[in-house]
Amino acid sequence: MLERFIQELRTDDPGPETPAATRERLKPRFAPGSTRRMTLLGMLAGAALGDLQPAGDDTVVYASAFGEGRALEDYLASFPTASPTLFQTSIHPSGVQQGLIGAQRSVRELFPHAGGRQLAVQALLTAMLAPAPGVVLVGGEERGTWLVEADAVSDRTFAYAVRLAREPGPAALGRLTLAQEEATGTLTHPAWFELLHHRRPFDGPAAEGWHLQLAWS
Amino acid sequence: MYSSNHDSVRLAAWGCVTPLGDAAGTVAALLRGERALQAVPVLGREGGDPVPLALLGGRALDETAPPSWMATIKSRFRPVQEDGWGRPRRPVFVTSSNFGVGCLYAYRRSGDLTFLRYGALPNCVEWLRRELGWGESVTVYSHACVSAHLGLLQASRMIQAGLADEALVFSFDFLSPFVAGGFHALKILNADFPAPYQVRATGSIGLGDGAAFAVLARDRGDFAVLAQSLHNEMHHFTANRADGSGFTTCLAPVATAAAGRRLWLKGHGTGTLEAGRLECEAFARVFPGAPLVGWKGSLGHTLGSCGLVELALAVEAMRAGRTPGTVGSAAPVFADSVALESFANGAYDGVVCASNAFGGSHAAFLLGHA
Repeated sequence: MLERFIQELRTDDPGPETPAATRERLKPRFAPGSTRRMTLLGMLAGAALGDLQPAGDDTVVYASAFGEGRALEDYLASFPTASPTLFQTSIHPSGVQQGLIGAQRSVRELFPHAGGRQLAVQALLTAMLAPAPGVVLVGGEERGTWLVEADAVSDRTFAYAVRLAREPGPAALGRLTLAQEEATGTLTHPAWFELLHHRRPFDGPAAEGWHLQLAWS
Repeated sequence: MYSSNHDSVRLAAWGCVTPLGDAAGTVAALLRGERALQAVPVLGREGGDPVPLALLGGRALDETAPPSWMATIKSRFRPVQEDGWGRPRRPVFVTSSNFGVGCLYAYRRSGDLTFLRYGALPNCVEWLRRELGWGESVTVYSHACVSAHLGLLQASRMIQAGLADEALVFSFDFLSPFVAGGFHALKILNADFPAPYQVRATGSIGLGDGAAFAVLARDRGDFAVLAQSLHNEMHHFTANRADGSGFTTCLAPVATAAAGRRLWLKGHGTGTLEAGRLECEAFARVFPGAPLVGWKGSLGHTLGSCGLVELALAVEAMRAGRTPGTVGSAAPVFADSVALESFANGAYDGVVCASNAFGGSHAAFLLGHA
């Protein structure tokens, strides 16, 4: 059984807030002038991650099923005169790199997950198997526009960052365990976010062959 | 700083496909100095500047629905379709930087809804899973041009932790106007053919189709990935730190694991100037005297899959007893260690393979006999 303790947690659920309002809300979290080319997901993930201050030897695990949906849409629309900036921004894992590059914060290991029905559990497995002393799991999605109907980008915006440690320490917020068992379940990425955002417990199959327990202190 | 030496795992099977053939066929062609890259209009049937691209035989740059490359995967990669992959004890790790994004481009240009079945990343992986007969245990990584290294590393950790009996790492990147247009817009994909590590006035890259797989096991296979390392500079999206420290930091744990071995080096070597120079200098500092080769001057850059494609080629080169030189390049080069010609590798007991990506991301592993 794999076990980790939640040391810090940040979540952001903009709900009905417009993308422009979200950007305006988050702008003070970044260096002046640095947000002009940042995406919405980049700002959300960067703000969540910035609070947790990953150190150089920490492993950062990034989870986003669709990544930079809006940059992808805009890049596709830029043809036949392809935009170099949008191309670069649309490439996974731009969402997490924008904030880290802005902060000039190098990290040894960065594992960007994408897609897949088992995204949440697979990202947790990556985090739990990392040998680094500290692991930050950061994730999120960005609501797209014209590709939402095609189910090719996310229909919802959210972000989170969780610092995990091997030991509970004096102020652990919660405890996570993953164990192999013969069971099938699917914990979607938005459902995983809801557990974190509302600090709800979970005890059950979360992916094929994996049982997840999440308990809050 | 912790070591990555415990990320050692054996290679029970491997393979790749490039425009020059399977792994053995590609190594043989590289040893003959063949170049797969050809000048192709950057936007496919919509035209544009001719740029160096290496496409699988008979495949056009424009995507089809379903993607035409699946037939090649099915005919060349039998091991990925057998043995019950995608179960909890036999997980699959899929890596790519493109996935089916060429289909999103085709949908945008044509309005044909059929492309959407393969275009969005989750849809593409789900289609792969069904076509190749995999179960649900499929982990997906996408980290631009170091993507394949992440699949190798996490698959190794699953095996070492006793959470998997064996693991399949599968990586694929097939070109489209989406990606060719992007690199062309960045001006590094231009009319010139790439010449990795060569000193010249302007840098240029080529892009190539490529796919590869590796079956990782704890105690089966004659070759092994003996150490793995990552480092992410987070200095700039498209530039490395000017002192080359990102390259050195990534290579250091691999050098520790390789102490006492006589090595040859397979670099990233896309054909860009500054990154090529920094890579040469870092390799020379960390592995003095070891010959350095790069194969993207022939095959083009297979993007997120290059780490696994070139792993398969490195293994085949060791089996063949001869390492292909840096095809497409000529003197002068950035360092004396750059091997322009092929060389016998029987006296070497390992190869370090490295890849780099946007964001100053670096990845490397040590490959040798188990």
